[in-house]
Amino acid sequence: MQNASIKRGLLALGIAVLSTGCASTDGAKPDPTDPWERPNRAFYNFNDAIDRNFFTPVAKGYVKVAPQPVRTGVTKFFDNVGYINVIANDLLQAKFGDFASDTGRFVVNSTVGIGGLFDPATGLGMPAHDEDLGQTLGKWGAGEGRYMVLPLMGPSSIRDVPGVGSSLLLNPLTYLNAVVTIPLGALNAINVRANLLEASNIRDQAALDPYTFVREAYRQQREFKIYDGNPPTDSIDDYIDSEDAEAASDDAAVLKVY
Amino acid sequence: MTRAPRPFRLFLLALCLALTGASVAAEPAPPTATVEKLHATLLEMMKEGASLGYAGRVERVGPVLDDTFNFETIGRVVTGRHWKTLAAEKRKAFLDTFRKLSTATYADNFSSFDGEAFKTLGEEIKKGASLVRTQIVKSDGGTVSLNYVLNKTGEEWRIVNVIADGVSDLALKRSEYGAVIGKDGIDALIAKLEAKIASYAANNK
Repeated sequence: MQNASIKRGLLALGIAVLSTGCASTDGAKPDPTDPWERPNRAFYNFNDAIDRNFFTPVAKGYVKVAPQPVRTGVTKFFDNVGYINVIANDLLQAKFGDFASDTGRFVVNSTVGIGGLFDPATGLGMPAHDEDLGQTLGKWGAGEGRYMVLPLMGPSSIRDVPGVGSSLLLNPLTYLNAVVTIPLGALNAINVRANLLEASNIRDQAALDPYTFVREAYRQQREFKIYDGNPPTDSIDDYIDSEDAEAASDDAAVLKVY
Repeated sequence: MTRAPRPFRLFLLALCLALTGASVAAEPAPPTATVEKLHATLLEMMKEGASLGYAGRVERVGPVLDDTFNFETIGRVVTGRHWKTLAAEKRKAFLDTFRKLSTATYADNFSSFDGEAFKTLGEEIKKGASLVRTQIVKSDGGTVSLNYVLNKTGEEWRIVNVIADGVSDLALKRSEYGAVIGKDGIDALIAKLEAKIASYAANNK
């Protein structure tokens, strides 16, 4: 039931974004890799306004009142409670070794690590992995699809949107009473934002156009994660070939350099 | 009896071998050496951050960037298809500004030390390009992946791209710069970069 309603919600959202995109085309040449740039920018600005006026100040206040060990514990707790999603995607990507290790990790950290507040598993040779449904789809060859900015959630893509729903469905907190879920969800949101303060500082300092900056950073980081930090080395050759042939400098392959 | 006496010929042979040996020893430093040179400087800047001050860090890192980066290639890639259309003096103006911005960025970001260490993980060489994998290890054990792409400039390996946690600096800049040049031209881009440089300096006042 919940699954169906999430799907409907996403479909409605998709249609809304799509129709705004079609309705508005003026003289400005849209980036061909980002056909939904106009609605995406609208959502980006919407998110950014909420972020600057609400989440950033709250996150800064939280950093002031909650000392680092507390925040680390909070981060670890939410990472652990969301870890079933990682385990499921290990399996979907046929990473059986990681599946075994991550299952062990979840059990050890949930028990010995007191509900995930601590991370004894890493020291026991069961390091954290980062997997989700979007990475699974990417691993099996699905392209990124169009880039999307989701209201309140930020950058995503056609390939990554289903993972937003599935990670919620695989998170035990989703099934608790709203009295518990809502405050915990708020704490998670604030803690996540606090962890990103440094990154958003870098964005604010370095970006000429924050929307483009975030889009490109998002795309690349997703690609990096799909390959677990080891993208294929032949992309170096692409880079060199393009370097040699000046005409090929338009080739997006130039940038697939890891 | 026009031939040189035997010991002398041996001496010549030895000299030749020594010279060959010397030329082997003088082979260009490996790509990791370039990256490690940069990292050593960054670590110094972090440790002496406060005493050097922002201006001191700019002075420290600038010459090292000149030695370790290939700004010409970077400039060509980040301006993309626009590079060909730029006059020589515009290219030079852009490269000068870009170099100043890179220096300012490093001076701003590597300013304090909190137990971090740089670790070189390995390198791969393919068709003349090299990928050097490294990471920053923080005092709490957390790591940030930092990979470098280098190409051979003359006899030296120079950095042409930095990839932090999967995000390619070159790709990011190329997207942004291409958009600005396409819309407002190279002068507008240079002005924006100058404004960034000024804001780094202002942040460190």
